[in-house]
Amino acid sequence: MALALTTFVSQKREGWKSLEGLLERQRAGTLTLEELRTLDTLYRRAASDLALAQTFYPDTDAHRFLNQLCARAYAAIYQPPRERWAAVRGFFRRDFPRTLRRELGFVGTSAALFCLGLLLGALVVLWEPRGAELLVPAGVRQYVAQGRMWTDDILSVAPPNSVSSGIATNNLTVTILTFAMGIFAGLGTMFILVNNGVQIGAITALCIREGMTVGFLDFIAAHGPVELSIIVIAGGAGLMVGQALVDPGELPRSQALALRGREAVKLVLGCAPFLACIGVVEGYVSPGDLFPTWAKAALGLTLGGLFWAYLLRAGRADADTTEAPEVSAS
Amino acid sequence: MSTAPSPHLAVATPERVALSLPVAGIGYRCLAWLVDASLLFFFWVVAYFVFTLLVSDVLGVFQGLSSLGQTLLVVGVFATQWLYWTLGEVFFHGQTPGKRALGIRVVRLDGSPVGLYESAVRNLCRAVDFLPGVYAVGCISLLLTPRHQRLGDVLAGTVLVREERIDLDKYTQPAPQATSGAAPSTTRALKPDEVELVLAFLTRAPGLAPDVRRNMGARMVEKVGGLTDEERDAVLASSESIEAHLRGLVRTER
Repeated sequence: MALALTTFVSQKREGWKSLEGLLERQRAGTLTLEELRTLDTLYRRAASDLALAQTFYPDTDAHRFLNQLCARAYAAIYQPPRERWAAVRGFFRRDFPRTLRRELGFVGTSAALFCLGLLLGALVVLWEPRGAELLVPAGVRQYVAQGRMWTDDILSVAPPNSVSSGIATNNLTVTILTFAMGIFAGLGTMFILVNNGVQIGAITALCIREGMTVGFLDFIAAHGPVELSIIVIAGGAGLMVGQALVDPGELPRSQALALRGREAVKLVLGCAPFLACIGVVEGYVSPGDLFPTWAKAALGLTLGGLFWAYLLRAGRADADTTEAPEVSAS
Repeated sequence: MSTAPSPHLAVATPERVALSLPVAGIGYRCLAWLVDASLLFFFWVVAYFVFTLLVSDVLGVFQGLSSLGQTLLVVGVFATQWLYWTLGEVFFHGQTPGKRALGIRVVRLDGSPVGLYESAVRNLCRAVDFLPGVYAVGCISLLLTPRHQRLGDVLAGTVLVREERIDLDKYTQPAPQATSGAAPSTTRALKPDEVELVLAFLTRAPGLAPDVRRNMGARMVEKVGGLTDEERDAVLASSESIEAHLRGLVRTER
């Protein structure tokens, strides 16, 4: 025979109260080792009280209270490991490039989609010049018609600092959207990839037709390779998400999504610092003619080469030693 | 005290106890977002005035700062759009200030606290949930998913749970000694749901209109029963005696 509800509460309440107090202190981070042991004992006791309440007093406030108390203690005890500097370093030295190599198929597909858009856009404009009216933004068309680069004016109006940071946030928005639109079964990511490809292809073709090939190359040579790589990688991450939605395998869809989402976001987070650096290059080096075109091209190729060399080589040497935990984690 | 079935997150702990946590619905989430959004808004109002003061200074000392200031501005937009949420959730136990004010928190589907990756996923997806404006996609997703998740939550495998403030004092309030003489002879032990009902009545009784209070108390006594006729007449004499009797009942076993 179970105790009466009120007796149960008044008998156990002291323990619950001290557990609450310890959890409060745990949050503030001022627990001694001894108190930590008490916390563990009290949690186990509260959990067994909860089991009792579930059986004898379901749907009472006491039951709800215990649920909540145990959830708080559970969260405090089974915390995920804190991400510290060592973890950040490990992420960039091993985790990020390795994830990318494992998911190279998705990045390849994303690159193929982007190139498809690029070709389409370029062919349309080269074949039928009036297509440019459809595909190229009006502002850009005006500049090109006057034989100027649209980027020259941004620079002369605003100080280079703000151009750089403005470009950085713009690239960031595109990258994030490219990834996040993957939640629409990957279709959103495909659309953004193809759409961006078409626009860039169309602008390139327009510049070629108007005899501004050199000016255009001059602008994109320094930052283009890395920036487009990053967008393609983010596209790969978006496609991973889409794949988990369309073909979750043996897992329920929600779990497959959560699992793949964690992997995919690694690709996006890994790209973030490179995105920031390339934003600086795009803001300071690319516009204007402070640097000759060949220097910009050399810089762009070097940066692109280094970026991909890092992605394909980093963390390869110690792959064997840490292979086992990685398999169990994924 | 709610009786309508609300969605719950069921969690199995390693101690083999099943926790069930109430999931926060669209109302809580909207309010929490409003709190966060207004915090960010006031931050920007203040930042704007400070910035204007710096740029328009008469001596021109800060002129050189203006371009740096603009960079900071853009970086600040970035920080408030993405970092605020993620850092809040990772470092303050799944709660941004708005969520803390409303008493909701982000947890993984297994009830454990969110880590950096989950938080990053769900906050990167804010951009999509916000489409085409004011979180339209997110709200539709909230209404359609059984656990009230927006797309970012679905992708990250997270859910928002509610913390209720539950007062246990009502269980342990001392029974008045004055009525112990009129204690009924044939009491039976109350079932937990009856205890819950009586306690709910006792908590709310002081706020009721006198006649309602009296009527409801009488019905409560009838429902609980276990009294002879003359005992019942004595108990039903006034609302004070009714409540004293009820309080005594839920406190019979000490």
